[in-house]
Amino acid sequence: MKKLPLDGVRVADLTMMWAGPYATRILGEMGAEVIKIESPSAWDNIRTLVPQPEATEPWNSSFYFNDYNRDKKSLTLDLAQERGREVFLDLVKHCDVVIENYRAEVLGKLNIDYPVLKAAKQDIVLVSMAGFGKTGKERGQVGFGPIIEQMAGLASLSGYGDDGEPYKTGISYGDPVGGVAAAGAAALGLIQRRKTGEGCHIDLAQRETMAAMVGEAFVAASLRGEEPVHRGNRDARFVPQGAYRCTGEDQWIVISVRTDEEWRSLAPVIGAEELTSVGKVERAERHDELDAVIERWTSSLDPQEAMEKLQAAGVPAGRVLDTEAIHDDPHLNARGYWVWLPHPKMRPWRQPSTSWRLVEANPQLRRHAPLFGEHNREILCDMLGLSEEDLKELEAAGIIADAPINPTVG
Amino acid sequence: MKEPVLEGVRVLEIGGGIPAAYATRWMAGFGADVVRTEGPEGALTPDEEIYLTAGKRRVVADNETLLQLGRQADILVEDTKPGTLRTRGLDIEALRQERPELIVVSITPFGQTGPASQYEATNGVVFAMGGIMSLTGHPSRPPLMTGGSQAYYLGGLNGFSAAVTAYYGRLVHGEGDHIDISMQECAAGMLELYGAMTEYEKVGPIPRSGNHVRAVWGIYPCADGYAGVCCLERQVKAFFNLIGDPVLQEERFQDREQRAEHDDELQAIVYGWFLERTKAEIVELGVQHRVPLGAVLTPKDLLENESLQERDYFDSARTPEGTARFPGRPFLGLAWSPGELHEGGTDTGAAVAEWTGGTR
Repeated sequence: MKKLPLDGVRVADLTMMWAGPYATRILGEMGAEVIKIESPSAWDNIRTLVPQPEATEPWNSSFYFNDYNRDKKSLTLDLAQERGREVFLDLVKHCDVVIENYRAEVLGKLNIDYPVLKAAKQDIVLVSMAGFGKTGKERGQVGFGPIIEQMAGLASLSGYGDDGEPYKTGISYGDPVGGVAAAGAAALGLIQRRKTGEGCHIDLAQRETMAAMVGEAFVAASLRGEEPVHRGNRDARFVPQGAYRCTGEDQWIVISVRTDEEWRSLAPVIGAEELTSVGKVERAERHDELDAVIERWTSSLDPQEAMEKLQAAGVPAGRVLDTEAIHDDPHLNARGYWVWLPHPKMRPWRQPSTSWRLVEANPQLRRHAPLFGEHNREILCDMLGLSEEDLKELEAAGIIADAPINPTVG
Repeated sequence: MKEPVLEGVRVLEIGGGIPAAYATRWMAGFGADVVRTEGPEGALTPDEEIYLTAGKRRVVADNETLLQLGRQADILVEDTKPGTLRTRGLDIEALRQERPELIVVSITPFGQTGPASQYEATNGVVFAMGGIMSLTGHPSRPPLMTGGSQAYYLGGLNGFSAAVTAYYGRLVHGEGDHIDISMQECAAGMLELYGAMTEYEKVGPIPRSGNHVRAVWGIYPCADGYAGVCCLERQVKAFFNLIGDPVLQEERFQDREQRAEHDDELQAIVYGWFLERTKAEIVELGVQHRVPLGAVLTPKDLLENESLQERDYFDSARTPEGTARFPGRPFLGLAWSPGELHEGGTDTGAAVAEWTGGTR
């Protein structure tokens, strides 16, 4: 059995919400042992963000929480109490990576910033991923994904074009982007430690990893002073391109024509032979008219059928998969992308598998997200050597718990 | 100054599009010797070429050269259509057998296997198939593509992080792997609560919410552009206090469920508040009052942004049009070098000689 790349790596995970947990979900997928640490009174609010009126332990049965926290262990620990902090530093001695996505100043306030961690474990790799970084005038800003997207330039580049309005992406896009980058940052830190024996402190600002996703717009702005252009679903090079309505409730297909050859293939498929010879410049000028011709054809077709017909002719086309259709997408299913993962308190549902398909090591989802404090005993007693007596004391002081002290906060 | 973390790592880039070029850009900045073999004409726009090729050596490789370089690489990153490399004489499995330490990252629209693996695609097509597009845009208008080339960049980002993770695994366990990255899957796995909610609660497809998921979670016009707010329940109170309108203390806005029923009324109040303030004021108020507020900044705004300057974020490179500035190191804490721009093909002789010269 081939080992996964992060097999043998242990991660103390202080992250919450989305960006950080997405990073550590990936580390878990790649074989790391991820220990998610939450305080009994300050825990990951994702657990109860979606109301679950029927649930007896809503913090343990959230599909949203599960999505980002599978393949992790749960340790509850109140770091704001000195004894909790001591236990944490003891745990750090057994870890390779510490990762956090608190606001910039929080780690310092908890007195567990990099020098403190380094004193506990000389070669620790610390990954901090505050929204705006640890330094700089804007470091105090709360960095939720949509705010990141706005403050990184991306929202200014999105829009239909006829109303001047910028648009947000339909998810909190800055979060997972920061998360994927942070997973890579952790790996680079580990590489450096392997080569030099020294750890490092990575200061990742989610705003900066987001802006890197539109780098060419900065080139345009710095060289030519360009302001954002909202193209809607059109493209400067691929003409025509657009989202076209199909049959069914709110069903659409994107068609994108790169070359004259692709246009010549498309025209007869949509019953517009007379337009076959229209060149690219003219296609751009007559874009509205061509859109109408294309939509006349798509609007009587199922999006899957339209896509398959166009692809058979070699034309780039893809249906706009909605959140339901994407789970039934024959291609994703043929690749085994959706996986059923049992959970002790939830009915089964299909979850995405890893996007990093190591063909030989073949990473698989291993386990549902941990229940609150599920691994307290395993970590505190088996790893750190605490006694039953110690555990009782920690429990009595509210430093550890197997349920949130304040379950209605969220 | 420490040696760059990827110093001495040989990276071969094949295909030349955004996915492969972005994945290897950060490797170059962190010290790898990235040899970019040119893709088809127009694989990158001139602006993308400036941003994505800085710090790389650029080679024009015939099939024989490609194989020679492939045999010397530590990490091979490619974004060609599945099957293409074999027709060029580069057999990934054979290369991996020859050198088990090799890491190959293939970044494609739909992955190496499955019925759509041979589909023709552009960024827009992949963005549609990844699910995010169905959630983006106004509910009464067509779904909207986010700006730039997000599906492709997301593929490149995943390619980078996967490659360096596998490289760490190689250092520790001795072996590389072939990583099959489907850009569709990169997006399909990050559909926030919407993907899982549809599947778990069987509520049907989640509709687009435009710029207002809720009144306290959206983008609004302000005095000099657009700005936004993003409150979780626990931040609503601070936001209401900041707005200061006494009506917000009434039950219909204080109670979470009732508030949802009065969202339009609340939107009107929030709209009015934003309209009277500038982007800079709004950002400042957010920091002061711990309310998640932001402004829709343009790349031009950001090039002048104090925080980013303080953090020395931007790289610059000389181009025939002048000095271009663009996002540099993705994070602080590891040595980064900005890198010069090379013309396509100029490094062919030197790079090939060096890599194949038995200096390894």
